Amino acid sequence: MSDVTPMVKAEQVYKSFGALEVLKGIDLEVARGEVMCLIGASGSGKSTFLRLINHLEKLDAGRLSVDGELVGYREQSNKLYELKDKEICSQRAQIGMVFQRFNLFPHLSVRDNITIGPVKVKGQSVANARDRAAALLERVGLSEKIDAFPSQLSGGQQQRVAIARALAMDPKLMLFDEPTSALDPELVGEVLDVMRKLADEGMTMVVVTHEMGFAREVGDSLVFMDDGQIMEKGNPREILANPQNERLRSFLSKVL
Amino acid sequence: MSEGNLPRTEDAPQVGASSRPAPIKAIPVRHPWRWVAGIVLIILGAMLIHTLVFSTSQQPHQSGSRFQWNIVGSYIFSPLIMQGVVLTIELTIVSMIVGVSLGVLVAVMRLSKSRLISGSAWAYVWFFRGTPVLVQIYFWFYISALYPNLTLGIPFGPSFVSINMNAVLTAFWAGVLALSLNEGAYMSEIVRAGIISVDEGQGEAAHSLGMSKGKSLRLIVLPQAMRLIIPPTGNETISMLKTTSLVSAIGVGELTHWSLDIAAQNYRFIQMMIVASIWYLAMTTILSIGQYYLERHYARGSSRALPLTPFQQIKKNMRHYHLGPKKTESYDLPEVNHE
Ligand SMILES: Nc1ncnc2c1ncn2[C@@H]1O[C@H](COP(=O)(O)OP(=O)(O)OP(=O)(O)O)[C@@H](O)[C@H]1O
Ligand SMILES: [Mg+2]
Repeated sequence: MSDVTPMVKAEQVYKSFGALEVLKGIDLEVARGEVMCLIGASGSGKSTFLRLINHLEKLDAGRLSVDGELVGYREQSNKLYELKDKEICSQRAQIGMVFQRFNLFPHLSVRDNITIGPVKVKGQSVANARDRAAALLERVGLSEKIDAFPSQLSGGQQQRVAIARALAMDPKLMLFDEPTSALDPELVGEVLDVMRKLADEGMTMVVVTHEMGFAREVGDSLVFMDDGQIMEKGNPREILANPQNERLRSFLSKVL
Repeated sequence: MSEGNLPRTEDAPQVGASSRPAPIKAIPVRHPWRWVAGIVLIILGAMLIHTLVFSTSQQPHQSGSRFQWNIVGSYIFSPLIMQGVVLTIELTIVSMIVGVSLGVLVAVMRLSKSRLISGSAWAYVWFFRGTPVLVQIYFWFYISALYPNLTLGIPFGPSFVSINMNAVLTAFWAGVLALSLNEGAYMSEIVRAGIISVDEGQGEAAHSLGMSKGKSLRLIVLPQAMRLIIPPTGNETISMLKTTSLVSAIGVGELTHWSLDIAAQNYRFIQMMIVASIWYLAMTTILSIGQYYLERHYARGSSRALPLTPFQQIKKNMRHYHLGPKKTESYDLPEVNHE
């Protein structure tokens, strides 16, 4: 029964910043273990949608739930109650997020970047968290960088540490916001490899990306957003081979 | 193009010394004004040393140098002066601790989304930055006359505790109160600038790990803001050390107070002010050195390599001298535990 509950469910999600309406009724579902790629022109609202899932922004209208739980609210006898700061934090702790600009903590070593979440948020013991950090670093192929500081790493290495940092929280869902757009072309591959491995292990992922190759090979579904609305969604291989929507066609001609 | 201008690559065979152009020999640009300025400064320096050390007293009943350094020497470690030094240090430490804590609190309040909270913080800064410290010192000193008994309770309602202000708000604590409230106002601006300078993505990354606002501030934002907060805080501490002399006005027995007190008896005002100055200079110098090392510590993470400390520089030079430039030294920082 619980396996049927989608990991992410958005129904008529609206979001405005002042007078600017950024999301205009988003409906979508991400199943468990699904890798959904989100594409669209700059300013179409992709980041905003990801940030809503993690409650870094509040939605204006509609419903958004993760693993069957409303994001940021509790529903009781047909009324919505805002969650307390603490409850929002515990929701976020279950969702990993990877940013375009890595956002590693520059004052902490790679190891401390990875352990600070488990230790300070989940109350894990330092020893356990360190063991886990070592294992995660091995998984992203950066064991030898455990004592380095972020400023000593290349962009690709920083992003892999950022992925390890998110994984250390044992998230049930991973959000990636253009994880490779800030990277030099020759570093993109190493990050995508880590993500591909993660997808193979069955992680549920929502990935905003311009890497059509990744979307085609790894994605279970592809969503094209334009001007705050979903214009097309479905199997990435079919959509990319035969785009129906005119905007999508012109978008692809620019990206590919 | 001559051969010497060609870029040299590792695998290209090194051409013999014959093709290398001779080192440049050129007549350097003359800087006549530097010479003039240098000579003027040397003359001024000599005059200063002369008047300080060698010129003799012109007063009939005095002998020896005009400045009477022997008097300075006899008072510099005298018990009252030492007592004053200790109290000056105490005043500085206590006022800075309270002031910095207040500063962080007010800075965070200032950044609050609640208008009432950020407004109160703004009013605090406005008031304490806009009035002279000396006035504030007198104010807190005499406030106990206004409230001989301070009663805490619900406004217009019952009261819980009553404090005898004359007993609690001694001159020392009135001074600390004034100095730290004033310091808090300045520090809050410094802390706020530091917090604002930290990239917004840092807070977001912290939140996405499930950190609360408090944890994100304490563990992620403030440590990074430190890099900007520490240097001006060092200046504030040095400034505070000197500002403590103002509380001599309400009779707190710190360095300036005792220097003046002794001078009032022996009429050696200049000598006693020199005694005080030597102590202030010694203390501010120590603080400046401490500040240098603190800044260096907090620069970590922002640059790949840290500059050597003067001590490390000396050590490195000595090693070069003894061992020759064979070994390249890398100075790793001691590992810092964050748990
Ligand atoms: N906090 C904010 N305040 C005001 N406007 C915002 C805010 N965040 C985003 N916007 C605006 O919302 C629109 C959508 O932004 P969003 O970042 O979601 O786009 P995007 O699809 O991720 O674009 P990109 O590909 O450039 O990252 C943009 O016009 C942006 O300027
Ligand atoms: Mg974006």
